Parts: sequence; C-alpha cells; structure tokens
Amino acid sequence: MELRRPAPSPLVDNYVVPGDVVLDLSEMNNQTIKLGAGLRQECDTIEATSAGKLRQLKPNKYCIENSQKRYKPSVEDTVLGIVVDTKPDNFLVDIKGPNLAFLPVLSFEGGTRRNIPKFKIGTLIYARVVKANSIMNPELSCMDATGKAAKFGQLKDGYMFDTSTGMSRMLLSSPTCPVLEVLGKKLSFEIAVGLNGRVWVNAPAASTVILVSNAIMRSESLSGIKQRAMVENLLERLS
Amino acid sequence: MSAQAGPGTYSPAAAAGDRRRERKEELRRHLAEDADWPRADGRSFHDCRPAFMQTGPTTAASGSAYAEFGKTKVIVSVFGPRESKKAMMYSDVGRLNCNVSYTTFATPVRGQGADNKEYSSMLHKALEGAVMLHTFPKTTVDVFALVLESGGSDLPIIISCASLALADAGIMMYDLVTSVSVSCFRKNIIIDPTSDEEAWQDGSLVVAFMPARKEITQLTLTGEWSDGRITNAVELCMDACSKLGDILRDRLKDTATLTCE
Repeated sequence: MELRRPAPSPLVDNYVVPGDVVLDLSEMNNQTIKLGAGLRQECDTIEATSAGKLRQLKPNKYCIENSQKRYKPSVEDTVLGIVVDTKPDNFLVDIKGPNLAFLPVLSFEGGTRRNIPKFKIGTLIYARVVKANSIMNPELSCMDATGKAAKFGQLKDGYMFDTSTGMSRMLLSSPTCPVLEVLGKKLSFEIAVGLNGRVWVNAPAASTVILVSNAIMRSESLSGIKQRAMVENLLERLS
Repeated sequence: MSAQAGPGTYSPAAAAGDRRRERKEELRRHLAEDADWPRADGRSFHDCRPAFMQTGPTTAASGSAYAEFGKTKVIVSVFGPRESKKAMMYSDVGRLNCNVSYTTFATPVRGQGADNKEYSSMLHKALEGAVMLHTFPKTTVDVFALVLESGGSDLPIIISCASLALADAGIMMYDLVTSVSVSCFRKNIIIDPTSDEEAWQDGSLVVAFMPARKEITQLTLTGEWSDGRITNAVELCMDACSKLGDILRDRLKDTATLTCE
C-alpha cells in the first residue's frame, strides 16, 4: 500500500494558542503524523496545547516552538547548570527545570571512585542531558557519547546571565545568529549557550564581556538587520 | 490642636462618597420603575466594558498578565512548574495553587470583603479543568492574582487574566479559559456589572468557558432566577466569552509578533 505525504497544515510557521485546531485528520487516510511538544490528538483533530509557533520538522512531524523562562528537560540538550548540593554519589544541579537534575560523580571523563571532582555549591557546569522523564529527576553527564569530556565540565571565570529558551535556541541556530556573527568578527571571546536559557561569556577584558552580554540580552526582540545595527552601534561606543 | 479641617483642606473621600451615594440613589430609582434605564457608563444592558490586556508585566514570573476592564485592574503572575514542597505527598499529576488577594486601596472600604475570601478556590476550580495537570507530575504551578482596583466583576476578570498568564508561562492547556458575569435586576439581565450595579443585584451568574472546545469549566449562580432567564443568561455569557476568547488569542499573537520583529 502506497503511503502518500500528508498535506502540510495551513498554520505552519504561524502562531497558535491552546485550543487551536492545527490539523484535521478526517481528511487524511493511510498517513502517519508524528506529534512533537505542544500538540495532542483529540478525536479527528490535532490541537495545540501551548502557545507558540507551529513548526513542520519533517514532512510528517509537527511541533510547537515557544520561548519560555522555564526549561523542560529533553535528552541530548546541552545545559548550563548550577551546583546547589553535593551528595556522596551525585551532585544536585539547578537547570531551571521543574526539578533539580542529578549529575553522577562518575559521569566525567576517566571518572573513578579515586578521582571524584570536588565542586563547591554555586559552581557553574556545562553538561548534557542523558535522561529526561516527567516523573524522574533529569540526569546529566559531562561526557559526550564517546566518553570524552569534549566541551563539557566546569566553567571558570566569565559571566553567566539568564535569557529565554527561545533566545538560547536562536543563539545555537544553524546559520550563525547575526549578533554572534558581527561580534565574532570584531571581538575575541568565549561563549557557552545552554538550551535551558543560560548563557556564559568569558573574555580577556571585562569591557568585552559586558558588551557581548548586553548585545545578546538586547537582541532578543530584534530582527536580524536591527541586531546588526545595534551591535555596530555598541562597538562604535567602545572604540 | 483642632481636629477640624481648615478651609483650604481638600477632602476627596467626602466628595467621592457623595457621588457614590447619588449614583446608588439613581440606580435604586431606576429599579423601582422596573423599566429600561441607562447604565452609569453609557453601556447598554448587553455591552461589556472596554478591555485592555497585556502579557509579561512581571519579569520575575514564568508568565504574567495584566487586565483592565473599565475600572477593574488585575495583575496575575504564574510561577513554575516547580518542585512541590517536601512535606507534600507524591502525586502523579501536578498541583495548581491559586491565590487571590486585594491591595489595601483596591476598594473604597479598606480590606478584602467577605464575599471575596473564596475567590482563590473559585479560580482554582475554573482553571483546573483547562490545565493539563498530568504533564507536570510531582510539581506545582502557582497562580497569584492581585486586584489593583476593584470596579465590579472581579472574579471573571481574574479568571480570564490568569488563563492568559498560564498561556504566557507555556503551561500545557486544553484551551484558554474566559469568564463573564451577568447580574439580574427584576426583569432585566445586565452583562459585566460594575461594583455599584453588583450592590443592587437580585442575583448573579458567573460562567467560566473554554471557547474553542465550547465547554463550561465553572458556573456559579447566586440569588433569585427563573429557569428561562438562567438559560438566556448562560447563552449571553457564552457568547461574550467567545468574543473575549478572540481578544485573548489576538493578544497572545500580537505579543509574539512584537517579539519576533
């Protein structure tokens, strides 16, 4: 039996709110549709359950992309966490989610009982979500899939600030974000972006850190062209 | 020292009190005549007050909304989902914690009225049918509503504003919740009553409604009503709720458009 590609929803790339009917399934037959975050099936319709932009990821996969202050943990997300407590077997890390995340003491490169890392309360850590479940606390790891530390671990010095989850997604988007593109051409700095809406910036000069942080924070509600203009304006003031 | 006010002293409370008494007397006179009469703000019986709504006034909250219907001004902040307190038992569905409070200057008489004490539980009942509690087990969502100025029909405005704040916070919901109240005066039914009109009503009806699903989440009835008039009043409320639902949707979409530009 031939599977036809489902017709895209007319609301794709439009803003939807809870209760909006995204797709009518009564008009479709023998077609598979995958539902991402913020969507649910109600009889013969697909309805939105949260406010945001409807995205079509694949020909048959839909999800709602929204910008929030709170973060919902998802497997393979890279996050910036703050150590809030230490236990014999794991660290308790705040990742701006509904629950605190566990970071096992052995989930570091070459981690054994003999060389357990010692993190003080308040330490900033760049980690990867390995387990995410609504019933259990999320689990983090400071290793990539191959067991190497890669870019994960403790972030020393620098400055960390909070943004929305939408902003952090924009900073990590595939064509480089206009703000980072313009700043990267003129200034030398390090940046770590967590999908949980936290950004860490480090640079040799404090003025650079302040400028980069302000530029990112201001750019949240601006279009690409306005972002470039704003960054150039900030750079002019610095020089 | 004399307690008497000097000749140059301005006393706004006395003047406001006189005006309020005059309005009440006029309203009582109209009720005695039992005929169609003009409302103090010039609206017809089936007209709602002009509405202004906005999302995101509270930066510290996960989601927030501000609503202004005539003189009634409400601000709602939503916090969470966040971990439930250790003392609470495990729950495989989330908890919705609602709290309604009044500022000391919200009403002409200082302090929260006896009628308003149960608004917190009524807000909870109106919202819990729309919020998908199973999507955040073991956690709590806190909804704090603050009435800045009370000008009548407080509860419906609190419910609508709380629904907007929950949507702004990204809480999973089956649909937005809108609410409208009507008051009954002898043979007349008036929608969205002011505080002066509420003081003289024979009965009131508050409907909380999900416009897209066409479902009522809460219906509160007080006073004397006949069967036919209840049906008319509920239909009137549902129609107004549907229109208010469109305003809420437009408000959320406008906010998103402004953020993207």
